Amino acid sequence: MKNLGNRGMLALGETHVWAGGPHVMATPNADMRFWIITIMLVLFGLSTLKIR
Amino acid sequence: MLLDLAQWLAKDYHAFNVFNYITLRAVLAAMTALLISFLFGPMLIRWLTLKKIGQSVRDDGPQTHLVKSGTPTMGGALILIAVALSTLLWSDLSNRFVWIVLIVTLGFGGIGWVDDWRKVVHRNPKGLPARTKFFWQSLLGLIAAVYIVFSISAPNNDKVIGLFLQWVGSGFTLELPLKADLIVPFFKNVAYPLGLFGFILLSYCAIVGSSNAVNLTDGLDGLAIMPTVMVGAALGIFAYVAGNAVYSKYLLLPYIPGAGELTVFCGALAGAGLGFLWFNAYPAEVFMGDVGALSLGAALGAVAVIVRQEIVLFIMGGVFVAETVSVMLQVGWFKYTKKRYGVGQRILRMAPLHHHFEQSGWKETQVVVRFWIITIMLVLFGLSTLKIR
Repeated sequence: MKNLGNRGMLALGETHVWAGGPHVMATPNADMRFWIITIMLVLFGLSTLKIR
Repeated sequence: MLLDLAQWLAKDYHAFNVFNYITLRAVLAAMTALLISFLFGPMLIRWLTLKKIGQSVRDDGPQTHLVKSGTPTMGGALILIAVALSTLLWSDLSNRFVWIVLIVTLGFGGIGWVDDWRKVVHRNPKGLPARTKFFWQSLLGLIAAVYIVFSISAPNNDKVIGLFLQWVGSGFTLELPLKADLIVPFFKNVAYPLGLFGFILLSYCAIVGSSNAVNLTDGLDGLAIMPTVMVGAALGIFAYVAGNAVYSKYLLLPYIPGAGELTVFCGALAGAGLGFLWFNAYPAEVFMGDVGALSLGAALGAVAVIVRQEIVLFIMGGVFVAETVSVMLQVGWFKYTKKRYGVGQRILRMAPLHHHFEQSGWKETQVVVRFWIITIMLVLFGLSTLKIR
């Protein structure tokens, strides 16, 4: 794990360093990232309307 | 850039003609920008952390925000890199609207960069003096407004210069075509004639106002970027319609030849914004800073002006508007009451508006997601103006 000071994370899945000690990705962070993935998948699905 | 390559290859392989479609290139621009954000995001965060480019948190703000102190800022540079690279790759580089919007975006980004750099690296809490910042914003906004007013009325740059000279020759009394009028949503035949100076003033207000509004909104993790993505994507649809002779005629919107290419820019903006949100989602690993907020706001303003949808931008960007109005009312009322009664009074618990709700007991993520929900509704309402008129 790379220490980035008291706040910071490098990429999805890497351990989070957060005010006082390392722990895994915080829940809201994971929530929103799953939303982003869903948005991308929806956009990809919608693109099949035109791309065929 | 890739469009030229595809057109060259299409001479031998007809399949490459598919890249002539704006919609496909917009989707590809979004994906490219997203990929760039994912690839460079961790590198940029690492670099910003090493350079100790961390946000200082206002000590008069909510106490819960003090933990955010030191979080890397200026992450907006990532958005700018992703948008610029993706747009340059996928758009038609002979299109003047793409260039003017890119110049406005990067120009405002430059102003934000200097401000952030002075604040964070030079440890100068005031950053760029407000007047200097406003001067550069105004200068860029005015230049863009003057160019846009002539470019939407003329099909190419030669004719833009011709029209400009004609305007000067007419003693500044030249009448503009109808498409330079202020389009009023929901009404078929209502358009307010702005005149040339009115158009320039409105465009200036839209670009500079929107830039500062997004900057004021950028106070919670993910609060500014997601509405920007949603409004940007919706403006992309308006750009596609405005640039298409058939659709614009069918939907009774002004036809702006070339504006369709802005769909690619808006796609890149949406992709880069989502990519940035990946790292900016609560608890944020990076903030966009002024370099991101000022440039994104200006980009939305410039696109809205070109596709003639200033009022729709005002509706869809309702969250930005409410945040700005909250600051104006709070400061105005405080100054007025202090002058009148000797003691300043506040309307809200804290300004901008998102802090008021935090002080009212909402969690940061609740404020953010609720403001997103409001923006989704406003964007849908704005999009309904396409058909309901």
